[in-house]
Amino acid sequence: MFLQQLINALTIGSLYALTAMGATLIYGILGILDIANAGAYLVGAYVGWYIYYATGSIVLGFLGSILLVGLLGIFLQRTIYSPILAKPRTLSIIPLVAAVGLFTISSDAVRLICGPNSKTYDLKFPMEIIQVGKVTIQPAWLLIFALTAVLLAILWFILNKTKLGLAWRATAGDREIALICGVNTNNAMALSYILGYGFAAAAGIMTGILYNNITPALGEVPSYKMLAIIVLGGLGNPLGTVIAGLIIGIAEVFLSVYTKIPIPKDAIAFVVLIIMLLVKPEGIMGRRNKV
Amino acid sequence: MMKKVLSIVLVLFMVVTMMASTGIAEAKSDTIKIGFFAPVSAASAAADGESAINSARLAVKLVNENGGINGTQVELVDFDDGLDTKQAANIAERLAGDRDIAAVVSGSYSGPTKVAAPIFQEAGKLMVSAYAVHPDVTGAGDLIFSQSFPGAVQATGAAVVAAEQLKATKVAIIYVDLDFGTTQVNAFKAKLAKDYPDVQVVYEQGVAISDSDLTSVVTAAGAAGADLIYSVNYYEQAAEVLRQVGMQKLGIPVLGTEGADSWMLLDIAKEYADGLYITTNMNRDDQNEQTQAYIKNYREEYGKEPDMVGASVYDAFQVLFEAMKNVGTDTQAMKEFIAGMKNFDTVTGTLLYYNAEGSAVKPIQVQLVTNGEYHFFGVVDDAQIIDPANY
Amino acid sequence: MNTYYLYSILATAAIFTMLALSLNIITGYAGQAMMGIAAFFGIGAYTAAIITTNGGNFFLALAAGMLVSGAFGAVLGVISLRLQADFLAITTIGINFVMEALFNRMKITGGTLGLTISKPVIFGVKMGNKQFFFLAVIFIVILCLLLVKMRKSWFGMALASINNDSAAARSFGINVNKYQILAFTIGTAMAGLAGGIYAHRMGFISASDFAFVVSIQVVSMVVIGGLGTIRGPIFGALLITSLPEILRFAKDYRELVYGLLLVLMVRFMPQGLIGDDSPLWNALTGLWRKVFPKKKTRADLIVESVKGGEQA
Repeated sequence: MFLQQLINALTIGSLYALTAMGATLIYGILGILDIANAGAYLVGAYVGWYIYYATGSIVLGFLGSILLVGLLGIFLQRTIYSPILAKPRTLSIIPLVAAVGLFTISSDAVRLICGPNSKTYDLKFPMEIIQVGKVTIQPAWLLIFALTAVLLAILWFILNKTKLGLAWRATAGDREIALICGVNTNNAMALSYILGYGFAAAAGIMTGILYNNITPALGEVPSYKMLAIIVLGGLGNPLGTVIAGLIIGIAEVFLSVYTKIPIPKDAIAFVVLIIMLLVKPEGIMGRRNKV
Repeated sequence: MMKKVLSIVLVLFMVVTMMASTGIAEAKSDTIKIGFFAPVSAASAAADGESAINSARLAVKLVNENGGINGTQVELVDFDDGLDTKQAANIAERLAGDRDIAAVVSGSYSGPTKVAAPIFQEAGKLMVSAYAVHPDVTGAGDLIFSQSFPGAVQATGAAVVAAEQLKATKVAIIYVDLDFGTTQVNAFKAKLAKDYPDVQVVYEQGVAISDSDLTSVVTAAGAAGADLIYSVNYYEQAAEVLRQVGMQKLGIPVLGTEGADSWMLLDIAKEYADGLYITTNMNRDDQNEQTQAYIKNYREEYGKEPDMVGASVYDAFQVLFEAMKNVGTDTQAMKEFIAGMKNFDTVTGTLLYYNAEGSAVKPIQVQLVTNGEYHFFGVVDDAQIIDPANY
Repeated sequence: MNTYYLYSILATAAIFTMLALSLNIITGYAGQAMMGIAAFFGIGAYTAAIITTNGGNFFLALAAGMLVSGAFGAVLGVISLRLQADFLAITTIGINFVMEALFNRMKITGGTLGLTISKPVIFGVKMGNKQFFFLAVIFIVILCLLLVKMRKSWFGMALASINNDSAAARSFGINVNKYQILAFTIGTAMAGLAGGIYAHRMGFISASDFAFVVSIQVVSMVVIGGLGTIRGPIFGALLITSLPEILRFAKDYRELVYGLLLVLMVRFMPQGLIGDDSPLWNALTGLWRKVFPKKKTRADLIVESVKGGEQA
């Protein structure tokens, strides 16, 4: 059972990493705890579903949804977040309230437009469930691992090998200095949002495929759980977020299976987080930028 | 400073007053008004909320098409409680304070219903709760009735089915960590301990309602050597239990509850749903005119399949209509009529009688999913088991 | 007119006004990002409910709820010294989730079945929404007077300086740590008191009444009204608690309109609708001055010139 549980934990951990990556990228630049990223995750799952059912291609579903939701991200950044952040002396909880409003809108708009009932992807995989002894590996899990790896590779490439990525890293390091050095911080912000919302959309579709079920409540758990993951990973640090996602996945599975702690899985992420913050208040990977 | 604060408070006070008074001062109408509330706008409960409000509207529409209550048309006064007890309290006060409201149906969950019940009792309004499972809802007083059976009843029935029909010896229990889950788990275990000491509970795990990942829980249940999984979950989680049991190739049968009684479970779990047993109150193979008419009308009206929640709400209205047809809309008369109802045919089974607490007593239907449909498997009608007064 | 409905809304509004004011002490004055006020609301509610359901006196129960919640808050205050800004925000979110889970699991809190609380009888009168409303208003008035005094006294000055710059505050010899812990203690104690009233007003509490969404609602109230003011949280609480009822005309679009209003209010008035420097508040005070002109004192002129200098 141990091996099976380890695979289960790594699967869910990868999905968490994918889910929290969007919020991490946004935090890295803007310093916002963007609960609305879970709205992008929800909307992404539905947009992907409609494209998949219209075209029959899940690849198109992923690409179309990532693109459309990414553009939605830029739109929201330009119309909502940047103007709020432009005001002097803005505490971080102020944009957070706007994000809560956006999240409410997304959940309710999905309910009104797509209906409150479950929708199912019913994705047929071109392969069978792998069975080795008592251990099984489901095709959806392999898709999660592959998707996480590919998206992280793309992210690494954009951040490290492109000019835009350089601007992002400079801005995440220190915005004031980046501005003085002539870095276009606006572009860096736009990149954060298109990547941040795109990642969320991909994670939403992946969740929909894994559980074969999407509802307007899909974003509720990620809306808070991803906050725990991005903090554990050292706010705004993409690599830290992957590690944190895996740690939370492993902690959830093993604590709930092998111990009798009276705390549901959803709260375990926060218990791990609180313990770690008390021991090492700057996160696993340290802080990438000022808080 | 304080002056300013005071003036702002006063202005707001006036705004709220004006708002509260609108809609109350309507002229007395010649229809029978029935109050209703359901969690329509809460994302996590919206599917049940929609099912509830749809069935309420259908019930009122059908009764009006058939000439209303002795010639008087029925009007639905419906509210969305957003699955928020604070809003439920507001709604309850509003309905309770409205003299034109003849009676109320709760189409909501335990929390809102539990908060609303004492308000109606105190104001002298009759309420029928459609499917709230909290064991104390009817405890608010003699004017509060529950149309569905409490969790303990079907769980005790489930224990009998597990031990006698399914011949289980090692049971793994996966339950939702809400009143719905815990009351049933306790009753299930109590029945096993009392009458079937050979049947062991080898694994027991509560999961939060929001948790969609049950992979590791099902793995652990399988590793514990269970030969039956008792899943006390709502349909989304029950569907995931079925999918994981199937995809992890565990080959363990699953026994569910009325929470799994939804076409959406079949839709999500697909081929993995086959072989699921559930305890519920709705028998889809029932040739009873009421049941078939409801299913047919619901399909035509909304283009969807009805579920347990919708059927329960529909039945709560049938109980009220029956009372109003016989004794009019006087609260005390309705109360006495409903308390004395016997063998009343509803969509969710024959309502044998109401016990002293105001809880419906009906046989427990056991359904089995075959070829992606719920079908009759058996029925538990032992009087000892189905009367909630015995718990 | 249906006064029962009105008092039901008002009772909720008054209880949440207490919550908003208490959060404002921690977030608005001490500048600490507290996102788990509902946990302390819950601690107060359960403590008080457990006492009265076991036959204890109602007012004693309220006081106990306040003390227990404040004690937990003091511990959090000590912890908060180690954590900065958003780390503290997330830790408090975590505390909220853990507390909710414990409320849902512990026997003493009734587990998943919650607690049913009968309405207290005071001087032969069974407490209803009306009585709970006025009781809460009394506490609000006391709290407001306290806040006005606090703001004027050195405590308020210290908090204000922490909020702007804790390093600067330290250099003036102000013990930042002490005030921060004090702010957490007073704020959470008030939240606990509000919880005690809430439990008895609702008559039934379960874990989900104290979920993270409730904390977020209270944060919204403070931000929408105006952080760091007294009038702001009061206005925000009244608005946010009555919006679901006011918006009933929007029928199925109620939630959507609510979200939209939240975004628009923060987008166009991030200082809060009636916070300091908000356009609405400036217009209102301008109007007030026109109607009731007041001779400017020397101190006012100095303040104005300093403000003008800041803006330039």
